[in-house]
Amino acid sequence: MGEERDLLGSLVMELRRGVLVLSVLSQMGKAKYGYALVQSMEDKGVAIDPNTLYPLLRRLEKQGLLKSTWETGGSKPRKYYERTAYGDEIYKELKHQWENMACSMEQLLKEG
Amino acid sequence: MSDRDRELMERYIYQVVKRLPKDQRAEVALELRELIGDMAESGDAMEEVLTQLGDPAEFAEKYQDKSRHLIGPEYYDDYLWFLKVVLICAGTAVFIVSVVQGVTGTITPGFLDVAGALGINMAVAGVFAGIIAGIGNLAVSCIGVFGGVTLLFALMERNKIRFERKKKKEWSVDDLAEDHFAKGISWTPKQLAPIPHKKALISRGDSIIGIVFIVLFIMLLIFAPRLFSAIFYEAGELTVIPVFNVEQWHMILPLFIFGLVIGLADEIFRLVVGYYCRAVMISNIVCGAVQIVLAVVLLKIFPILNPDFATDLMIHLDRERGVAEWIAAHWNGQTISNIFLAIVIFATFLEIGTTVYKTLRYGVEN
Repeated sequence: MGEERDLLGSLVMELRRGVLVLSVLSQMGKAKYGYALVQSMEDKGVAIDPNTLYPLLRRLEKQGLLKSTWETGGSKPRKYYERTAYGDEIYKELKHQWENMACSMEQLLKEG
Repeated sequence: MSDRDRELMERYIYQVVKRLPKDQRAEVALELRELIGDMAESGDAMEEVLTQLGDPAEFAEKYQDKSRHLIGPEYYDDYLWFLKVVLICAGTAVFIVSVVQGVTGTITPGFLDVAGALGINMAVAGVFAGIIAGIGNLAVSCIGVFGGVTLLFALMERNKIRFERKKKKEWSVDDLAEDHFAKGISWTPKQLAPIPHKKALISRGDSIIGIVFIVLFIMLLIFAPRLFSAIFYEAGELTVIPVFNVEQWHMILPLFIFGLVIGLADEIFRLVVGYYCRAVMISNIVCGAVQIVLAVVLLKIFPILNPDFATDLMIHLDRERGVAEWIAAHWNGQTISNIFLAIVIFATFLEIGTTVYKTLRYGVEN
């Protein structure tokens, strides 16, 4: 039973990992800082660990999908991330792929 | 935030950033200070926040986008295959050479006298000493080979060097298509090579045996050229009459080794390709031709054989006149060289002939 739960857990994790980039990109149309993103996603039912999100944001920036700016006005410096033009393009394409996939998956799962 | 909390936070951040490349540390530290500060402000106690973030080592790992393996799945099969072949070839050769060296090194007049006095069979003692030396050297060389091959593949993995096995795809109109997702596809069924005819397959075992013998011969020539000698032990005196021209060895050896290395390269190429095809045939013809040229140079221009072999042998064997005279009469440098040359040329042509026949008859053409 324990093994079964482990297997299920790892399969669910794999499923989530697949849509992680898409879900993060979807939220970055407007500039946001990391923890605000964690909270807003949690409110929308997509929980993401900060220790996964922060490295991911850096990677997406390195890939040119996001850009960042440090705001030093507040009580402490904050790093804001936002989609770049290239990020917009990729996001659009990914979203399109997702919609097709979701549609086909729904069809598949109906048959199951 | 209390001083204690701040201290805990800084300790945590230190544990994460110390595992990151230097140029990322300052910025990641700032990010983490922001994150932990935000989390703490939302109401959780510092210890709870840090527990939620988890082991700093794991956190740091997620920041590393470098590959975290020495040899990845892309290279693993090639690595194992290559390691196996090199281990078998080097291991066998080193073991045999060590045993031979051990045996010849042990059979000295002093050792023989001691062994004789103790009533030990000297041959057994020598072989025993040689095998022990062989096992030791085998272990050391296998570890060395393992390290060397692993290092080689780790470097290739790091630099993403890929053996280019497939020919470059011919240009087609499809190349103009501006599809992001299709661009990554480099393999097409057109690249599938025809299944080789059973008789076109080159036996791996044969190739490996060939490689082992060439490596062995090279090592013996380098480390124990005097092994190819007539050895006599009489009345406490050891006489060694080398067959090769040991005085000219520094000139002969490099050429000799060069010829063998060419043969080795050809064998390895056959092993890697695995079946008769045009490339294998061309490689075999070129290597064979070079080897024949080298054999002519070594046997006809350089006197590779010891010119004094017959005289020395005769002096030594003067008590057995019949044998000595027979050898003296037949040891004519020119004749022997010609016989060797004929054998080399015959063997090379035989091999080239077999390769050409099998390639033309059963070979795989792409």
